[in-house]
Amino acid sequence: MGVDRTRRPPPSTPRRLRLPEIEGVTLSNNLRVEFVPRREVPEVSLRLILESGAAAEPPDQAGLSELTTRLLTEGTADRDALHMARWLDRLGASYSASSGYSVTTISMHLFSDVLVDAIKFLATTVTQAEFPENEVKRVRSERADEIDRERDEPSMVAGQALISELYEDGLYGRPVGGTAESIPLIERRDVCDFYGNWYVPDGALLIACGDIERGPLIEAVEAHLCKWQGVSQRVQAPPDPPRKPGRILLADRPGSPQAEIRVGTIGVPYGTPNHHAIIVANAILGGLFNSRINMNLREEKGWTYGARSSFGFRRGAGPFVVHTAVESGVTAQAFQEILGEIKTMRKELVTEDELDLAKHALTLSLPLQFESARQITSKIAQQRIYDLSEEYWEVYRNRIEEVTAEQVREVCETYLARDRMTLLAVTDAESVLEPLSELGTVDLV
Amino acid sequence: MAVSSTVNFELEEHRLANGLRVLLQPDSSAPLVALHVMYHVGSKNERSGRTGFAHLFEHLLFQGSEHVPREGHFKYIQDAGGTLNGTTWFDRTNYFETLPANELELGLWLEADRMGFFKPGITQEKLDNQRDVVKNERLQSYENRPYGLAFETVLESAYPQGHPYRHPTIGYMEDIDAASLEDVHKFFDSYYGPNNATLVLVGDFEPSEALERIQMWFGGISSRPIPEPPEVVLPSGYGECRREIRDKVQVPRVYLMFHSASFNEPEFETVDTLSYLLGDGNSSRFKRALVYEQQVAAEVSVFTWPTESVGMFFAVATARPGVDADHLEASMRLVLDDFKQDGLMPEELEGAQNRVRRSLVGQLSRFGDRADFLAHAAVLRNDPNYLNDAFSRYGLVDEIMVEEVAESVVDEDRLTVLHVIPEETS
Repeated sequence: MGVDRTRRPPPSTPRRLRLPEIEGVTLSNNLRVEFVPRREVPEVSLRLILESGAAAEPPDQAGLSELTTRLLTEGTADRDALHMARWLDRLGASYSASSGYSVTTISMHLFSDVLVDAIKFLATTVTQAEFPENEVKRVRSERADEIDRERDEPSMVAGQALISELYEDGLYGRPVGGTAESIPLIERRDVCDFYGNWYVPDGALLIACGDIERGPLIEAVEAHLCKWQGVSQRVQAPPDPPRKPGRILLADRPGSPQAEIRVGTIGVPYGTPNHHAIIVANAILGGLFNSRINMNLREEKGWTYGARSSFGFRRGAGPFVVHTAVESGVTAQAFQEILGEIKTMRKELVTEDELDLAKHALTLSLPLQFESARQITSKIAQQRIYDLSEEYWEVYRNRIEEVTAEQVREVCETYLARDRMTLLAVTDAESVLEPLSELGTVDLV
Repeated sequence: MAVSSTVNFELEEHRLANGLRVLLQPDSSAPLVALHVMYHVGSKNERSGRTGFAHLFEHLLFQGSEHVPREGHFKYIQDAGGTLNGTTWFDRTNYFETLPANELELGLWLEADRMGFFKPGITQEKLDNQRDVVKNERLQSYENRPYGLAFETVLESAYPQGHPYRHPTIGYMEDIDAASLEDVHKFFDSYYGPNNATLVLVGDFEPSEALERIQMWFGGISSRPIPEPPEVVLPSGYGECRREIRDKVQVPRVYLMFHSASFNEPEFETVDTLSYLLGDGNSSRFKRALVYEQQVAAEVSVFTWPTESVGMFFAVATARPGVDADHLEASMRLVLDDFKQDGLMPEELEGAQNRVRRSLVGQLSRFGDRADFLAHAAVLRNDPNYLNDAFSRYGLVDEIMVEEVAESVVDEDRLTVLHVIPEETS
């Protein structure tokens, strides 16, 4: 029974990572189809990516793209909303359509023996939706109520307040789902126009992974999607927003026992040259469980259930955000600790141990990130939406491993300047106002 | 398109001399291995005044042991490119990680140190720190969330004083405060022996080799007497229970909970299918009536908790503005009454079964999820083969079974009603 319990057992020989081999076809209408057969379990993940989203809607019609996606299943010329619902529910497939800033994604997950009918369903929603007036009214009022209910959720309030502050009226400052003001103004004809302009095969991509075979898949896609016509426009990335000085913001939630807090600034787009250094820096600062911020606030102080940071890479510069919820009584101290951790990252080199841990966590986890059909379609979508290179994942490990401690410090220095950090808390304002004021001028929002 | 048995996962079962149950499900389709250790202890085993203890204890098992430093679990697993977590529920506590396949040994070392060498690593300081973390978890996930206290209120109303399912797994604040180091030692000695645990491996490994390694890491840990499990029985003669609470919310939400078939009972798949039929999909009974036609609800969900004893069947609806809780409840109950009266249409059942099937396959595609499924089947049902049988068991559900189960479960004597209403309307 000779096991040595005193040290970590060494790994055996690593298995080779097999990245999915993507096959592709472009139909005569320019719809691109990409697929990865995986036969282990009888399921299929489908994702249709359309160049569209909030960037494609007029600024005063925030939520138009999202409303359109919600209405896709609400009726065609010969099938009403209930008919569509019964069809989908009999297939047993899951269907979800959602808008982002620059694309709309329709995802289906299904048992593989209903694939052909599922493709027909998907095709029907993107080519034949009719948007009956009564359904537009209903879905619009459902969405308006939902916006109202979002105010109940402190984390939603915090997230929205932060991006409004950082981006103001810019694209990333608007909620993709629209606002209480914009939603009621959207009419059926706006939805129809949006659908006509943006739901086109040219520039669209259908991704499939799972228990599929090339022949039958292409045949089904051809049968149901080849008559779809239209020429795409490319959604433009938003112009680089102005960088503003950071502020301290407080949203009152009377009686709140905890404070939802955020520390944020405008970050960077996907294609930044120091992309991989930023990923490593964030992992050490707040990306991993064992990151500095989480270790400090959770494992040392016991102030929170968890604290994390992230860079939102997008086509344009998405936000950098530290997010956590702490006991209200330590709100100001928590901000100071977070700012302290950021400052140390900017001033001092991270240790070799931290650097190694982050690199290993990021690169050795690749097999886990490409495990299921859903994950694979999601990774392919990410790669295409953000124009990542064909070799992005092939070279990822090397790119991450090349990052040095000095590069980590440099990206923190460049992107995480103290004077541009906005601090935001959603909590009982009265109980935190005084201690927060010691950090600077507090504005109530 | 009837549900059929369409998966067939290779499965081996072993038991070490110390009572540790071992389930091996080799699958080389990805270079990964999922480890899952499930202990047959949960919040139902807690004594009065110590609610939340099983869950607090789970946190402590991430704080190191004799040979593993504090935060070592997180650090080693992340360093290997893996993921890890633990969860606690009424009947069980589990610890799991998915790792690159060549790091199987790392997972075994960590789990064996937890099981065999936990006590030397625990200190008052670690207990105090994790107590604070857990109190913040309670604040974040329950107290400071809309409708966050609803489920614990339902449980309090649905079960009599002293019933093992009466309190929430997260526990009450004052009980979390009361936990002592002595409680920690006692709980470990009572419930964390190998003979109260099941170890599951799913992934890319060679079964005989893996078993040998498991024997080496775990074989030397001694078994010990496990306390008799608490008796968990259906509260009888309790009648309909009703509660109302206020919360910082814009609109009311109504919870209907019926005592139902547990995960262990032959009716489980039928009740579960009923929940899909009633609430999953826009054409399901509840969504069609409440969300689409009457527009009294913004959201509806219907689901079954797969508990070891006394199942719980929930229907939960959130009101549209202007609709009060009584009106919403009446609409919900009308849906149930109509269903009991008129029965179902064959295509409704076919759809529900297809949705169940899609959901099952989704639960089995990743190794970690599959290990979780297998561990629950083994620990709560004593039936590891449920991994392969579940599809056919759901496939056998027919119209008469659904109608019968609706008749027996959807019964006022089994019902608990909770209204969560906005503070302003007080």
